[in-house]
Amino acid sequence: MILGDFGTTYCKFLDTDQPAAAPTIVATKALPPDLRVDLATGHNGKRFADRYVNELIALARGGEALIRENEFLLLDCGSRDIKFVHYQDGKLKDMGWNAECGASMGFTIELLEKYYDLDYQGLAVPATTFSITCGVLGMSHIFDAVIAGVPVAEAVARFVKGIAVNAYRFARSPKKLYLSGGLCDNPLFVASLPCETVPLGRFVLLEGLRQTLQMK
Amino acid sequence: MADTRIRQTTRTTADWRQMLTGGKRVGIVGVPPLEVIAFLHGQGIGIDDLDAMLIRADLELVTAYLPRVYCAILRTVVLNALHLKLDAVIVDVGPGKCDAAFHVATILEESLDIPVIRTENRDAVPFGTPIAEGRLSLLDKLLRITEGVKSPYADPNPPPPCRATAGFWGVPPRDFSILQLFPDTTHVYGWSRCMENKTPADGDLEALFNPEIPTVFFAQSFCAKTALARFLANRHPHALYLDVDVHTGNSARAKIEAFLELSGACP
Repeated sequence: MILGDFGTTYCKFLDTDQPAAAPTIVATKALPPDLRVDLATGHNGKRFADRYVNELIALARGGEALIRENEFLLLDCGSRDIKFVHYQDGKLKDMGWNAECGASMGFTIELLEKYYDLDYQGLAVPATTFSITCGVLGMSHIFDAVIAGVPVAEAVARFVKGIAVNAYRFARSPKKLYLSGGLCDNPLFVASLPCETVPLGRFVLLEGLRQTLQMK
Repeated sequence: MADTRIRQTTRTTADWRQMLTGGKRVGIVGVPPLEVIAFLHGQGIGIDDLDAMLIRADLELVTAYLPRVYCAILRTVVLNALHLKLDAVIVDVGPGKCDAAFHVATILEESLDIPVIRTENRDAVPFGTPIAEGRLSLLDKLLRITEGVKSPYADPNPPPPCRATAGFWGVPPRDFSILQLFPDTTHVYGWSRCMENKTPADGDLEALFNPEIPTVFFAQSFCAKTALARFLANRHPHALYLDVDVHTGNSARAKIEAFLELSGACP
């Protein structure tokens, strides 16, 4: 069975018939239009499969499988939105999905890296941050800072930290959070989260799909 | 230049019978007192529930009368009142509705060329809540409860009772499509329950919830009851607080789906 997590910028696939094979990643813009998978999640997923699991359920099921704790908060930061599930006593306690005010945070972070030719692997966490609620609106802070003489790398780092702090607050400011999504690979973002952070990688929703498959 | 005075009162309009007599069709906002509804029935006067989506017109038309950032239900009320051919509008402005309706009554009074009658519903005789606790799709439950506002009688054919697996607390939403996500075994709480009971000002009944069933505390954005919805959701051990404005977005839908599935509310 082919499982697919269809994100805004990247899609992730897992072939359950090949247990040893690692998940694959394909840029969303490179997807063949006639592609079909057996079970899908992600906001793009309904177009590519007959069976669909909504992203919060996939995230929660993935968290249940990957995190061996009765109480945890799992935050997924994608290209377009942020969402979290909070478990207490092994049960869902709270959840959130910010598709509007959290708009395009991950997408903007990647866009800025390419536009300014930066490498997030080498950027230090800045002491200060921008107050940011939206990736698109937050960009004006960068332009203003650069005009004021702040180096581009420093300005972008403040932006990334602002996004990390906003995501952390959206998740109700936990002491510890598990992180899911492409931003797990961004050390600046991970280090900017003001709490203990455990990155789980970008395949948590695929794991959630696999759990759903086993349940049904 | 003299100050301008515009009359605002929560008291029931004294000569409402006289104002309604001879009319063919009236619009109601909220739940007018049983006495008024029974009078309309006795006179054979048709009733339109202006809280519901009755016409297809752009909600933006209302911005001349109400702020754009305002309760979508009351914006719908004004939209309906502007487009429907009515002989009068009855607005319940007491504790059984909301402060915002109190002000909307003033705006309608100043804007329409038909009588706007204020009522203060303090009816306290309970009619029961068999629809709220019955086995029926949540959409049909809310349709029957809201339709019941236009009748002075209890529903003659309520659904069979069922054991609840989920709860829906709140006012009837502007966008009823949200209700399709719930199982048939969802019990109704909040002001919707008060509506069926024909006691819209019963604050105790409105604040009732069942802590043993996962419950969605629905809040219509910019409604004063959002405060109560969030307060009760925080008290409830297994709740989802949900704030929705004009339409239900994908993220709100996904939250409900996930909440119901992950809490085992869907049998």
